[in-house]
Amino acid sequence: MMKQAIASAFLVVAAIALPLLIGDNPYVTGILITLLMMATLASAWNIVGGYAGQFSFGHAAYFGAGAYSTMIMLSVFNTNPLVGMATGIVVSSLIALVTGSIVFRLKGHYFALASIAVAEIVRLTVLNLDFTGGAQGILLSDVAFLGLDLNSKNPFYYGMLSCLVVTLGITAYLRRTRTGYYLQAIREDQDAAASLAINIAYYKNKALLISAALTSVVGSIYALYIRFIDTTAVLDLRLSIEILLTAIIGGVGTLWGPLLGAALLVPLAEMLRSNVLGDAMVRIGIVSETSPIGMFFKDGLAHAHVLVYGIITVLCILYLPKGILGLLRRGK
Amino acid sequence: MTRKLLCIDNVSKHFGGNVAVSEVSFAVEEKQICGLIGPNGAGKTTLFNCIAGYYPVTSGDIVFNGLNINRKRPDQVCRLGMARTWQRVKPMSNMTVLENVMVGAFASTGALRKAETIARQELLVVGLENYAGKLAGSLPIGLKKKLELARVMATSPKMLLLDEICGGLNKTETGIILGIIRTLRERGVTIVFIEHDMKAVTSICDNIVVLSSGEKLAEGTPVEITANPEVIAAYLGGGSSNA
Repeated sequence: MMKQAIASAFLVVAAIALPLLIGDNPYVTGILITLLMMATLASAWNIVGGYAGQFSFGHAAYFGAGAYSTMIMLSVFNTNPLVGMATGIVVSSLIALVTGSIVFRLKGHYFALASIAVAEIVRLTVLNLDFTGGAQGILLSDVAFLGLDLNSKNPFYYGMLSCLVVTLGITAYLRRTRTGYYLQAIREDQDAAASLAINIAYYKNKALLISAALTSVVGSIYALYIRFIDTTAVLDLRLSIEILLTAIIGGVGTLWGPLLGAALLVPLAEMLRSNVLGDAMVRIGIVSETSPIGMFFKDGLAHAHVLVYGIITVLCILYLPKGILGLLRRGK
Repeated sequence: MTRKLLCIDNVSKHFGGNVAVSEVSFAVEEKQICGLIGPNGAGKTTLFNCIAGYYPVTSGDIVFNGLNINRKRPDQVCRLGMARTWQRVKPMSNMTVLENVMVGAFASTGALRKAETIARQELLVVGLENYAGKLAGSLPIGLKKKLELARVMATSPKMLLLDEICGGLNKTETGIILGIIRTLRERGVTIVFIEHDMKAVTSICDNIVVLSSGEKLAEGTPVEITANPEVIAAYLGGGSSNA
């Protein structure tokens, strides 16, 4: 317990100091921001998906709710970004409550299916409304907040880092409360949980609400960071799946698993995209540049990062049901 | 004059055209141990599921502690003071033994420390104190049954519904479980239990209700039931079913 607290504190200090070590390197900072973002999203997903065992395939809806609320409040009403963020929390909570109150009384995979349906409804609605910018999305030329230099990446690094710390803090706290125990009991056996005075629907909704609100805040920060959003960027099913995979590959139902998943997958995806891996293989001489395999590695692999994700996921599900964190723990 | 804690009044449960329980009535007095017996398919577990809130009854009334609980959810029924165990044990496999019992204890307290204290006490009662840190899924069946008992007792119930708590256990283990049930009765808990082992039932029950094909066949003390010719024909000496 004590050891873990010291290790966490050390990790936070290191994360705070990191941009100073990197200096002015927008490329690396950008990757780190993505890493922190995916870690936070997967950790927030983990509260309802990992602890309560309710697999959501539609978390992009909450992310998008945060992003769109912030952008609309800023571009239409010219409010403070915090107002947009708060609006996002309200909107995503409403989406969560409607979904949850309809399907959480049911057992089994209904929630997983419904979460996809709701996310698609949200995406199509946003795509077809005028004030959301439709297919064109929303572009924001300039934004001011607390006098920060928002053209630099550092404020967003710290913003995402704060989100991650808060999300992991909430998770760690929940694990030590009645709610945390109840969520795990529901995951393990819903009937047994009900027979022990646990109001199943209430606790599932609670978990989903917390998860949705946190996801929405990350969406808000992301929108301010990129300053251009459309439905493909923030409401796509692909995003929902990536969040889920990050948590599963890292280790569901554990505090550190989702962070570990992001720490492995985000750099991996970046290496594939920028073709570091393909180039390296050719350079080391594993494959010849002129052979068909070599040409695939050099040109094709960059477009195949989702394929690699998929292969890793299949391997994880087959051989590491408790994720990479489970593998590390088993090794001890 | 003892008080009736649970009244089953003309309860029927149909699944489509299938009649699983048909107009069954009986009452359980406070601090009694009531046995519910009958051949396989007699409707015992279905009746349990109705009482505990898992199935809505088709007709009739279930009154617990003066309150009609026909429309209550399982968690509400448990909150009112009636807890159940499962014929096929349902441990929370990836949680430790202690955590399993703490989940039960959280029914009466929101504080982690308090829940842990209650849980450790109940583990002591059933003799699982040395397994507290083990994963529940790793226990053998005999210990899982004990875990079920500790977990429901941690909810501090007035009444326990035990569904074949001795099922699949050997003689020694059955003896231990019956001993635990007796100590629970001394703590003031009323118990209804489904059991196939007639020796276990007659040794511990004050009152026995016999179900057959969904209907109540007989009710009485163990001596009356074992002497009842109808019960012997339908169940005890029935040949087709195992007693």
